[in-house]
Amino acid sequence: MHILGVPLVVTTLTAGLEVSLCILLYVRRGYQRLPLFSAYVAVALANILVIGVVYLSFGFQSRVSFYAYWIASGVQIMARSFAIAELCRYKLRAYRGIWSLTCIVLLTLTVLFLTHASIDAYGQSYWIKSFVLTVERDLGITSAVILLAVLLIRNYYGLEFDAFPKQIAMGMCILCLVEAVGNTIMRQAILGYMQDWSHLRPLVDNIYTFWAGVHSAGFLISLGVWCFALRKTLPASAPDPVLLPVETYGQLSPQINFQLRAINQRLLEMLKP
Amino acid sequence: MRESLFVLLIAATLSALLWRLLRSRQQMSEEVRRLLERNQANFLPLHCRYFAQVRQALAVPDERYLRGRVALPIVKRALRERRQVAIKFLAGLHEDFSNLERLGRAIAVLSPAIDRQQEMERLVLGLRFRVLYAWVWLRLSTGNVPLPAIENLTGLVGRLATQMQQAMLAIDVMSAGRLDTNVNA
Repeated sequence: MHILGVPLVVTTLTAGLEVSLCILLYVRRGYQRLPLFSAYVAVALANILVIGVVYLSFGFQSRVSFYAYWIASGVQIMARSFAIAELCRYKLRAYRGIWSLTCIVLLTLTVLFLTHASIDAYGQSYWIKSFVLTVERDLGITSAVILLAVLLIRNYYGLEFDAFPKQIAMGMCILCLVEAVGNTIMRQAILGYMQDWSHLRPLVDNIYTFWAGVHSAGFLISLGVWCFALRKTLPASAPDPVLLPVETYGQLSPQINFQLRAINQRLLEMLKP
Repeated sequence: MRESLFVLLIAATLSALLWRLLRSRQQMSEEVRRLLERNQANFLPLHCRYFAQVRQALAVPDERYLRGRVALPIVKRALRERRQVAIKFLAGLHEDFSNLERLGRAIAVLSPAIDRQQEMERLVLGLRFRVLYAWVWLRLSTGNVPLPAIENLTGLVGRLATQMQQAMLAIDVMSAGRLDTNVNA
């Protein structure tokens, strides 16, 4: 129901930017580099159009509108998760050793955060409603943490993003963090007022309106960052690296670690009286 | 309210970290490329090669000689300058350590399979080195570390550098053989 409180101009601006982004992705051939991200942008545009039509046909308060909104949100969240997974995989898959390590780290983080969301929601009295809000909040944080983990791994191994995926990741982070903060406030408001829903309905509606504004602002900023990333023709993609023979790592890595250990040991000895 | 503040704090921390990471420039990618071009000399310890000269500057007999011949203020000044040399040399050793560390990472990046334990160990060793380095630097700055201890450390890095050079030669031979096979195929 977010669109209820959002001024028409913001919705139009969002749709306009989404159309521009779709055109830019097509013209710059961004869909070849990041197909799942392009699909996510297309889904977001389709959602805004479909929900707009449903609201106009059935009214904002109808049950059809309610279901249309939540189904569209679910599809959009799924599409965004795939886009984030694609960003994580971008150019890292060619480095097979590092990619396998990254997969383990990311899977652990995902399981950890989603389990936390389930446990957190299970203890609540209105746990199904609370679960949806908790999962939404934790998905935002999980997405940001996953992107952070990938960036840390890339930074550590010196495999940094090109400008295009870097700016896409930046926009995605803004969106995820704004959603995480907004959903936390929403969740608290809803859980706090659920006991006496009818009496405090206007207050909850105000919170919804405020949240819709914050969410739209976050999404608009992200769309702006993504359009900016596609302002110029994308440079040619670098070829995949030529990997070393498997035995090289087995021979050299233990030696290097041994040497690093020995230097540390000597430094430690220097500190002894 | 407390939960909102907590999430806001996490979001702010994540934003700051992400911003820093997204703004950082490419560094290792260049070095990985250099490794691909077989210019591995950049990774090997360099500063320990100049140890002979540094050792002369830090020699204990020199210090004794100074104490016996010149006025106390001059001795103090000379010792202070020698400490500065030692600190700079320690910084050089830090660079050598970092280079070895980067070599390890570059090999991991270019390897089709890596060992999680090895990678974790290298990460921990790097963190440990930085803590130890800061501690030694602090003690050296306050004059609490005997200079011969630096000599021991440098000798060790020098020996390790020689071993590494031999290992890198082995890689060159292996990689060259592999490239030949690819070309022939």
